[in-house]
Amino acid sequence: MATRRLSRRAFLRLAALGGIAAGGAVIERTARPVGLLNYLRWTLRGAEQATLGRPMPVGLGECTSYGGEVLDCLRELWRQARMPLVQGKRVLVKPNLIDLLDGHPVTTDPAVVAAILDLLVELGAAEIAVGDGPGFRREAEPVARSCGLAAVLAARHVPFVDLNYDDPRPVPARDGWFRGASAIWLPRHVREADFVISVPKMKTHHWAGVSLSLKNLFGILPGARYGWPKNMLHVNGLPLSILGLYALVRPRVLGVVDGIVGMEGDGPLFGTPVPHGVMAVSADPVALDLTCAQLMGFSSKEVDHLQLAEWAGLGKPGYLSILDAEFAHLQLADTRRGGETLSVEVQKTVIERLKRQYKRPPVL
Amino acid sequence: MEISPVQFLLTAQNADGGWAYAAGQGSTVEATCAVLIALRDEAGGAASEARARGLAWLRQAQHGDGGWGMSAADAESGWQTACALLALEHEGDGDGALARGANWLLGTTPPELTAQGLEETRAKLSIDGGLYGWPWRRGEASWVEPTALSMLALLTVSQNPTIQARLNMAMRYLEDRRCSEGGWNFGNPVMLGAALPPRAHPTASALLALAGIAREAIRTEDVQALRNEMDRDGGTLALAWGLLALRALGEDDAGAAGRLVGQRGPDGGWNGNPYHTAVALMALRGNL
Repeated sequence: MATRRLSRRAFLRLAALGGIAAGGAVIERTARPVGLLNYLRWTLRGAEQATLGRPMPVGLGECTSYGGEVLDCLRELWRQARMPLVQGKRVLVKPNLIDLLDGHPVTTDPAVVAAILDLLVELGAAEIAVGDGPGFRREAEPVARSCGLAAVLAARHVPFVDLNYDDPRPVPARDGWFRGASAIWLPRHVREADFVISVPKMKTHHWAGVSLSLKNLFGILPGARYGWPKNMLHVNGLPLSILGLYALVRPRVLGVVDGIVGMEGDGPLFGTPVPHGVMAVSADPVALDLTCAQLMGFSSKEVDHLQLAEWAGLGKPGYLSILDAEFAHLQLADTRRGGETLSVEVQKTVIERLKRQYKRPPVL
Repeated sequence: MEISPVQFLLTAQNADGGWAYAAGQGSTVEATCAVLIALRDEAGGAASEARARGLAWLRQAQHGDGGWGMSAADAESGWQTACALLALEHEGDGDGALARGANWLLGTTPPELTAQGLEETRAKLSIDGGLYGWPWRRGEASWVEPTALSMLALLTVSQNPTIQARLNMAMRYLEDRRCSEGGWNFGNPVMLGAALPPRAHPTASALLALAGIAREAIRTEDVQALRNEMDRDGGTLALAWGLLALRALGEDDAGAAGRLVGQRGPDGGWNGNPYHTAVALMALRGNL
């Protein structure tokens, strides 16, 4: 009897599946609520992504203050991250305005939002709005005003949208992340944007581990439909909800992380400042958050939603494109990617150099 | 010629009879109910006619289970049911809408926590998970604002022992969720050992509820927390809801009222938002 031979591709897939299954206890427990079909579909997609998926660039650079250097840094990181064209597009910029607590770096700095707005104008975006739907505040405008964002927007004639009330309508729930829900209500500016730029503050989070571009998407869920806080997201399970919101808007989500001053300890509200001095940009929020988690001293295995995102094929680790003259001479040609990239060893060196070991949130 | 808030509201009414959170948006239950309450005492044909159309929209939006959702298109009943009952108060209950809505509220109880769940909430959040009020959506945890709104809503219907028992439980819930410095936030006074601060909107709604049911439960620090947060927040809803709560307690805040008046736009409304305008109008009645 002839022996059936495996193609190389099939062999790699099985090997990847085996590797995933071996470490999959946590994944299976997390994904169990969404059912076997979703679990299998994500498993296969994740295996395919792991073996065949193309890593996306993550632009990473040092930016030590909220002064004039932010725009120059952002402009170069945007180019290095090969961000999509925004000319003629409708763009929603979504910072983190969760709340204001004196002495705690809770919200995205308005200087970073200002730089994004100025860059979008340079690049010819047709319509620009800034919005958030805070989960603890019935009205977002006072937070925008108190943190200085309102003045930034007024100077640029950019409207602020409270996403909690922005004409919510149902959209089909995609990819099975929300148990029992056939639709999720989203605000108009999120539904209609060509791109949603998630602009988080780089923070630890006492439930999610880290609060980066994916977790920042909690603010797109309208409180007028789901309440304050948006308890549905917790009842559904945090990792599932974080990725579920991403799946609703993907692939329109871009990310710019404000790590100039981050937050460690009891994030996302009561942590303490970390003068980290970095910014990171990518068109792949999973790659972006995986990089930023490393910069905070986390491995992806410590962050359930990142581990799940990678496993389920929603993204994979990117490759760094570094804004740093010190490393420029180390860029190596890579014909497979058709451009210049840094070797894995250099990327690890860069991460080690820019990493800060963020204090973990308290655990009870 | 100066445009009045009432004129703004009449102009902002949607063709379907309801009101939205902004011009050009779909009608929502919360916004419509706030406007209906704000126009309740307005004399004049235009306001009466607008109210009649709004009430018709609201009655049509009620679901078969007795509740209301966010909008007429929202098939899921939720916290907006309480808003609807408050808007339909004084309108008579010939069609039974109030009674059905009250039954929906009474039938909304949270999932019961296991002993382990109770211990976990006590350890991590320093709250008694066995006490409950009302959630934003069925199947979820209780939170301060929907609890307060539901308490106020149940006062609009004939009282019976079942209602009284729920109100008593809700009062205990509010007392358990009080912030350490007084006042309330969304419903977590403590998170992993850190005291969370109060916020104007939930504090105002809790005070309004307690003022109607058990004034003796209100502490001086609750009212002070409200004043502090009104001042700190300064937004339309914080100022307006805060003034409504203070007035319910026989108090006032001229400074807050002045700030609120100053936020009114040339179109006669607040922030171009019928909901904001309605709440501001209720808060400032007599001051405009």
